[in-house]
Amino acid sequence: MTIWVPTDDGHADLGSHDTFLNGSPLNTFARLRTEDPLCWCDWTGGAGYWSVTRHADILALNGKPDLLSSARGIRMEDQSYEEYLARRTFQETDPPEHMQTRVKVARAFSKNVVADFEEQIRALCVEILDTTLPMGTFDATKAIARELPMRMLGRILGTPDEDLPWLVAKGDALIANSDPDFTTHVLDKMTTEEFRMMPFNSPAGAELFVYAKDLMARKAARGDTSGVLNLIMAPGPDGSVMPEHEFRNFFCLLVAAGNDTTRYSIAAGLQALAHQPELLGQIQSGAVDDTLADEIIRWATPALYFRRTATRDFDMHGKTVRQGDKVLYWFVSGNRDDTAFDDPMRVNLARTPNKHLSFGQGGPHLCLGMWLARLEVRVLFQELAKRIRSIEPAGAQKFLRSNFVGGIKSLPVTVTLQ
Amino acid sequence: MKATWIQPDGSQTTLDVTAGTSLMEAATTRSVSGIIGECGGNLSCATCHVFVDPAWFAKTGEVGGFEGQMLDLAEADREPTSRLSCQIRMTAALDGIVLRVPEV
Repeated sequence: MTIWVPTDDGHADLGSHDTFLNGSPLNTFARLRTEDPLCWCDWTGGAGYWSVTRHADILALNGKPDLLSSARGIRMEDQSYEEYLARRTFQETDPPEHMQTRVKVARAFSKNVVADFEEQIRALCVEILDTTLPMGTFDATKAIARELPMRMLGRILGTPDEDLPWLVAKGDALIANSDPDFTTHVLDKMTTEEFRMMPFNSPAGAELFVYAKDLMARKAARGDTSGVLNLIMAPGPDGSVMPEHEFRNFFCLLVAAGNDTTRYSIAAGLQALAHQPELLGQIQSGAVDDTLADEIIRWATPALYFRRTATRDFDMHGKTVRQGDKVLYWFVSGNRDDTAFDDPMRVNLARTPNKHLSFGQGGPHLCLGMWLARLEVRVLFQELAKRIRSIEPAGAQKFLRSNFVGGIKSLPVTVTLQ
Repeated sequence: MKATWIQPDGSQTTLDVTAGTSLMEAATTRSVSGIIGECGGNLSCATCHVFVDPAWFAKTGEVGGFEGQMLDLAEADREPTSRLSCQIRMTAALDGIVLRVPEV
């Protein structure tokens, strides 16, 4: 059975959030990879942009931050320099500045540090699944995919459990700021002028700023120096400490990026299981423990694209990209490129090697949380497979209204227990 | 020019590497087991960690500041001759270099 078939006519407007309400326009990406791999796209929302859609091209360009900079914004929306300065995190910096922050925060997310979370993650999975699965029919995004990363974020930040729904709602409002289900300040549908200095142009950013400050003050008051936030605020080998405004932006990044991406990876994995019945048995056999997470994350590609800006003119595929032009790496397209993946529209949990681009592979901004994401995905599917005999679709799935975050925001399924 | 990777089980891979190519790139394009290089040689992942044979270590140059900090985060414990192989480019002086791939 096919998991999902794209319905776009091959000429979808990639700049329109509405395009993605039916899932990513993969027919358009397939055409672009063949006919126009470096495609100029006009855009009603601002200056036009170049779309890079082939796996090999994304990899090659992503490794050249001196030519294609992150320091003018990473989404297609145009920013003034002062907005950029106020809102940026280390995502919006280039080497070597990027490394100065990265080495501080990377300590908290190294493979070894994250591996110690496995037991906690497994306990959370058991709790979530044992509550949800007996319902039989439910929305798998809301009941499972949303729950695990949210609760894990709470453990990592050291926030009280009762704060988590609020925190996650704010994170959703930030990153899904083009979907009216998640924010009252829809990015492309109203003026967000007064919030333009806030992360993601959103008032939720202001509220998270206050929360982050209070959280650190409460921790300091009780002498609590544990957890990721304190690790990040600790002085580096050179004695430098992250400035407060940078910390608050980083906090927003953690709440937003650390949540949605894992949620929509899990949702896409559940979608795949519901349509390719052989996958469940493969997980149950234990044969795909080392490879399943990366394939699910390839299939999901929650970060559909990241944008760079050309620092000088360069030629590619017979065209000239000009200094200052926006260039988008469409990871969602690279991950379906049949020159890099055999039968890319099928989920193959044993796929090895799996050179997907979901984490921004090949470049300095490789996802900081990738080890945590992989661990959460692996453990969740292991625990799920232990408990169910089947999982089937139970209604129409709904996709997020966003050309930046790819996600199934509603996924009705029916399961039978073992 | 040649470089050799020794796996934890003792098996060896020797590859021709052109001057200027990083040893991470050389290993990943030929799928040497245990060398992943996910960040493409940008010092952001530590998945191309190798132990340089002590006889060759001095010839690979200085360990950079960020490289050292990322080595501390690598999955296998850092050793005195640890390097991120993306930071070592093949030169005539390194022809014949021997690297051990960490056990993880």
